[in-house]
Amino acid sequence: MKELIEYIAKLLVDNPEEVSVTEIEGEQTSVIELRVAKEDLGKVIGKQGRTARAMRTILSAASAKMRKRSVLEILE
Amino acid sequence: MSSVEIEAKTKQEAIEKACKHFNLTEEELDIEALGVISTGIFGLVGSKKVKIRVTPKKDNSVEVAQEILKKIVSLISADTKISAEKKGDDIILNIDGNNPGILIGHKGKTLEALEFIINKAVNKVFEKKVRVIVDSENYRQRSEESLRRLALKMGEKAKKTKKTVTIDPISPHDRRIVHLALKGDHYVQTKSEGEGLFKKVYIVPNKNED
Repeated sequence: MKELIEYIAKLLVDNPEEVSVTEIEGEQTSVIELRVAKEDLGKVIGKQGRTARAMRTILSAASAKMRKRSVLEILE
Repeated sequence: MSSVEIEAKTKQEAIEKACKHFNLTEEELDIEALGVISTGIFGLVGSKKVKIRVTPKKDNSVEVAQEILKKIVSLISADTKISAEKKGDDIILNIDGNNPGILIGHKGKTLEALEFIINKAVNKVFEKKVRVIVDSENYRQRSEESLRRLALKMGEKAKKTKKTVTIDPISPHDRRIVHLALKGDHYVQTKSEGEGLFKKVYIVPNKNED
């Protein structure tokens, strides 16, 4: 799950070195925290959150496969 | 083909960066040195950087798009194959696997999300705009047909009842299909209304028809 978000985020940003993802695993739900460089924040969120929404959709498809739930948090 | 300017501390480093950017080897790139730029004041303080301009010798946008989607999909579900095809300026990627439902998602939501991300990623690499279409099991064609059928059915309903029929908010692409399906029908008119990306479509029967 973590690699998926990390890979997608690195595709979208200008500073791939500054992408960091942490996964907090719970029993059913895991929280995935994404940190990017300040100037890349807009790139991972997108116009009206469209990019963030797309990432969340892909993430939920991936977790559905593993019968889990995941939440994506983009941290400033 | 689009070219990109890259800066790095040494020329070799810049070339390596360029190869990674386009996913090509050094031989497949045209490299033009733009000279050394110093970032410090009067060249005294700060570091010097080498700038190069890189142009790929061949158009590998299809391979790049295919590679990206392959990687993303492999992280979601194993055992999938991606086939790519170029149609005019568009790149069509087709996902084949044993569990396409998960990659299509409810009403094609996942497919749409994948397409959106791939388009962003590919257009970041190439300056020239390319459009990537992601499909699986002919889902796009099937949904387009069912939407067209729905549009025609709702058109009939509007004519019969002489009342406006509303279709739930749909995306711009889907709306276009509805408008086009009923364009040839002179007894009804179609209108979009609402805020944002997703708008409702109204099918209005013409009043002065017998």
